[in-house]
Amino acid sequence: MSAGDLATINPQLPPEATVTTAPSRTWGDRLAPFLANKLAVIGAILTSFFLIVACIGAAIMYVPGWNDLYIDQRLRETLLRPLSPGFPLGTDQFGRDMMWRIAAGTAVSLFTGVAVTVISMFFGMILGAIAGYKGGIIDRLISAIIDLVWGFPVILVAVILVGMLKPGLTAVILAVSLVNWAGFARIVRAQVISLKERAFVEAARALGVPSWKIILRHLIPNMLGTSLVMASYYIAVTVIAEAGLAFIGLGAQPPTPSLGQMISEGRNFLYANPWVAILPGATIALIVLGLNTLGDGLRDIFDPHLRRW
Amino acid sequence: MARTIAYRGFYAVLLLVASSFIVFYGMRLAPGDVADVIASHPTGQLTVERVREDLGLNNPLLVQYAHYMGDLLTGDLGISLITGEPIAEILRTSSIYTLKLAALAALLSIGLAIPLGILAAAKRNSLFDQATMLVAVIGMGIPNFFLAVLLIQLFTVRLGWLPVAGYETPKHIIMPALVLAAEALAINLRVVRSSALEELSRDYVRTLKAKGMTNSRILWVHVLRNSLPPVIALAGIMMRTLLGYTLIVETIFRWPGLGYQLVNAVLKRDYTLAQTLAILLTAAVILFNTIADLLQQWADPRTRGGSGH
Repeated sequence: MSAGDLATINPQLPPEATVTTAPSRTWGDRLAPFLANKLAVIGAILTSFFLIVACIGAAIMYVPGWNDLYIDQRLRETLLRPLSPGFPLGTDQFGRDMMWRIAAGTAVSLFTGVAVTVISMFFGMILGAIAGYKGGIIDRLISAIIDLVWGFPVILVAVILVGMLKPGLTAVILAVSLVNWAGFARIVRAQVISLKERAFVEAARALGVPSWKIILRHLIPNMLGTSLVMASYYIAVTVIAEAGLAFIGLGAQPPTPSLGQMISEGRNFLYANPWVAILPGATIALIVLGLNTLGDGLRDIFDPHLRRW
Repeated sequence: MARTIAYRGFYAVLLLVASSFIVFYGMRLAPGDVADVIASHPTGQLTVERVREDLGLNNPLLVQYAHYMGDLLTGDLGISLITGEPIAEILRTSSIYTLKLAALAALLSIGLAIPLGILAAAKRNSLFDQATMLVAVIGMGIPNFFLAVLLIQLFTVRLGWLPVAGYETPKHIIMPALVLAAEALAINLRVVRSSALEELSRDYVRTLKAKGMTNSRILWVHVLRNSLPPVIALAGIMMRTLLGYTLIVETIFRWPGLGYQLVNAVLKRDYTLAQTLAILLTAAVILFNTIADLLQQWADPRTRGGSGH
């Protein structure tokens, strides 16, 4: 259908309105509301900083020649305090450089957070959209599962899953995904229920577009903003859960570096050098703070009515 | 309301059966043979034959499940694979520890949040209000295991006031209860404050003032009572969250409650104990969910009637 057809269908439509294209927006225009939101900017800066740290951490874990940086124990004094020459953040009980250990731990934390969020977003969006769009018995069934799973204590699920599998990142990722998808599904379902009454969806349906195509082409793109907001919250939740499980010995197992594990080991040296426990803890707190403020800022832009709980 | 309770009760029983089924089979599928576990923990009381017979490992799985649930419901819980202690005895002592801890944490989080939140609302934007809200932000932002480390650093290492972990004296409960209460306290503070602020702007407050009632009576009788429903509605959700946190907090402080026992049983591959604890804690979550739903409906009549959300 061209612009000319529209004008003939609807004579009141001013012809010039159908021909003019939207004024091209520069990147500055698009970013303006985001930059005006101080919270979002602070969150974005913190989050980008830790993303960079995570990339460095991933590099030293996977580039063979760089492994030494975080596992090297040779010829080094143990438990150096931060700001010691050559070791800006000090060393741990084995003389390993805290700075590189924290970078590697950040990589593991954020990887887990992103992995869980991608998995749960995928299943949550699809199941939530189907439930909201189809309604009826399918909706009741999916909603019942959502109600059961949503809000189930992640730690309990993870501990039970560790009992079924074995301690490690796989069990953690599975457990948190198993709970978190329901959080996405709830919101997506509610949004689809309101979106499906809108004219553009009805139009598509009237034209005979199959449901799966409507869901994929029209509904899901409309929910990306909200999902982005939720993703930043859920990555934060996952980072905390992963660290908590690692802390009690059920998460990532050595030699995989993990911030929770580092805090836990650091507890034994609180008298000698509390920084070994405090630095990785502060890292987690800052990662979570960054993601949460980024989420709050994005929420103000995309979806002011979205509530976190 | 009676119909709602009956419906929720039926649904809860259904979920109990389903979840116990999943936990039971999941733990049966866990890697490693029971014989290995016994061989690695020789106690002299257990033989492979006795355990195989106790667990009915030679029967079909469905029969095993039926036997197990039958035993569970009649109170015959069997013995721990590793220590040989009767599980009923472990449950009895550890549930008392968990109840003590949870009761103190609930008391702290609700008993402090209500007066502080109302005072903060009454003195809006004062230094007291800002300090309270700062505490709330910190309480929500710091992961509980890191808070635990910071408290240990302060109260044990620096001040030497409190023991680091254990359960022997009344002093031992202080830090775990504080850590367990922190997040709930923070959330309750915000909820009470915002709900009291809303009440303070209502017409009846002005009317009572005009009738000559003292400010403190208005605040501590009328505003207080009307600000409570949101807190009550949250209480069920809080219980469920606290239950998840007990796993971590009890393990950190080696407080011998149900959570500590479960984490330990999972780490030591003590299947019989882990399975029973996991099923019971899952049942507790389902119970709390049901209570939360009913409390929500009681506190907010608008949500009554419908089965969905």
